[in-house]
Amino acid sequence: MIRGKRQRTAAREIGLSLLPVVVILVVFRVYPIVTAIIKSFTNWDGLSRNDWVGVKNYVDLVSSGTFWLVLRNTLVLLLNVPLQVFIGLVVALLLYEQVKGWRIYRAVIYTPQIISAVIIGFLFRTFFSLGGPVNAVLTAIGLEELAIEWFGNAGTALGVLVLSIVWFSIGWQAIVILGGMSAIPPSVFEAALLDGASYWQRAFLIVVPMLVRTIEFAVLASGVWTLTQLFPFLYSMTKGGPGFDTTTLDYLIYLRSFGFGFGSNYGYASAVAVILLVVVLAFTAIEMRVANRADDWN
Amino acid sequence: MRARTRLRDWILSPLLAILTLTFVYPLVFMLFNSLKTRSDYFVNPFGLPKGPLQFSNYASMISQFKIFTLFRNSLIVAGGTVLILLAISVFASTIFAKYRFKGRAALFLAVLATMFIPSQVTIIPVYVLFSRLGMVNRYWSVIFSYVALFLPEAILLTTAGFRAIIDELLEAAEIDGCGYLARIRHVMIPMGRASLFLLIIFYFITAWNDLFTPMIFLQSMNKRTVMVALAALMGRYQGTPTLQFAGLLMSAIPALLIYAVFQRQIIRGLSLGAIK
Repeated sequence: MIRGKRQRTAAREIGLSLLPVVVILVVFRVYPIVTAIIKSFTNWDGLSRNDWVGVKNYVDLVSSGTFWLVLRNTLVLLLNVPLQVFIGLVVALLLYEQVKGWRIYRAVIYTPQIISAVIIGFLFRTFFSLGGPVNAVLTAIGLEELAIEWFGNAGTALGVLVLSIVWFSIGWQAIVILGGMSAIPPSVFEAALLDGASYWQRAFLIVVPMLVRTIEFAVLASGVWTLTQLFPFLYSMTKGGPGFDTTTLDYLIYLRSFGFGFGSNYGYASAVAVILLVVVLAFTAIEMRVANRADDWN
Repeated sequence: MRARTRLRDWILSPLLAILTLTFVYPLVFMLFNSLKTRSDYFVNPFGLPKGPLQFSNYASMISQFKIFTLFRNSLIVAGGTVLILLAISVFASTIFAKYRFKGRAALFLAVLATMFIPSQVTIIPVYVLFSRLGMVNRYWSVIFSYVALFLPEAILLTTAGFRAIIDELLEAAEIDGCGYLARIRHVMIPMGRASLFLLIIFYFITAWNDLFTPMIFLQSMNKRTVMVALAALMGRYQGTPTLQFAGLLMSAIPALLIYAVFQRQIIRGLSLGAIK
């Protein structure tokens, strides 16, 4: 009897505690994603127009040159992931071995993550603008031919974007990898040093193999982040241009839905959104498979 | 011994020092140039301000740009988000960490799976939903969007923190006659305060810094958050970088102050590797 009453109370506690989570996630995450998938097969404009058009949006998208340009940009920008993980690893090992001033480095290195990406983006735009500080330095040291309009062509614009993203992310990578390293017994490093292991050997023969799971998380999180969170960088630096030369999938959704005013083609933008979702899931699946393989080798 | 650390001590350590300088320099650069005249900036962007300091840039940020009103709007959005997030996470994480029931693991996974849905994918249907409910241009629209976006990660964080609380404490509280709410108030919250504290700081800063969601939902001039207004300012006053630097620096300061005060807790929390 008491047991039954206890169980009923527990059931009520569980139900009432989890209800808000379920309601919020269903209303603001699950319902919208289902809607986006369905509407990607229509010419929905958010108001009255809402006709079934089959796979027309997808066909239009894939047959447009813009789509392949956007995919290329996404792949180029994903190059920042190995760069930030590599630099983060080097920095983490320096912090772990407590080089002089490591406390200050550890505190300062995370500050870009605290400053809004909007502010970081505008700073980079200002620094790399035609009459900006970077070109002023290049001119002063006699490299005038390098003082170009950095955001004027795809190559250098993507380069500056990758640079800003890596710079922004190093601190996060270093702190996460450093956190993982605290699980490695210090005796391993002492033994390696006694055996004469060089810095690179310590980094790649000790830290990397022992931290496969941490590095997997670092790659996965920063990869998904690159695929979905570049909006403030692009908005502040290039607006996706010149043309669509630096537009990514997530920015294309914005351009096609809100960027050109209300009454845009939400159906088309939803098709881009569905493709972005597929890309994110594919990236996640591939990354996990690679990490599992890597873990098996150990 | 020396050979093994030469690379580290003579090449990598100085590089790290330089890297660290690049993180500090932009703040100094913004401070110096925000106190210059426009022409002084274009003559030499790297020098110290010449002549009288130009506080006029800050004055116009306050009087014309109304930056403190924007701060208030951002505070409402970020504060509201954190409060609701905290309340929901405490209850949900108590259940996920301390209750056993059928389907718990599946539900936990389902909650976490929504993390992989990018906000751009859901923004259009949510926008249409909000406009039907008359919620566009209301703070609630952004607050609820944020709560839904941050919730899985926040629950992951607090559940990890709550799992570390020993069961005996909960049992003792129950024997002492504590009901569900009393157990949460007297055991879960005080014992799990480290993770709750991290949740508050981290998501406050994230909400404060975000651009995308409030840019779509809060377009009316008197409700814009500081980052939305800043993005508009940067587009409008192309030719006045000194004024822009004053605005950029002022908008960065609240989050930087929070970080300066709680640096230790933030770094320790991040090392656990639960949040991005």
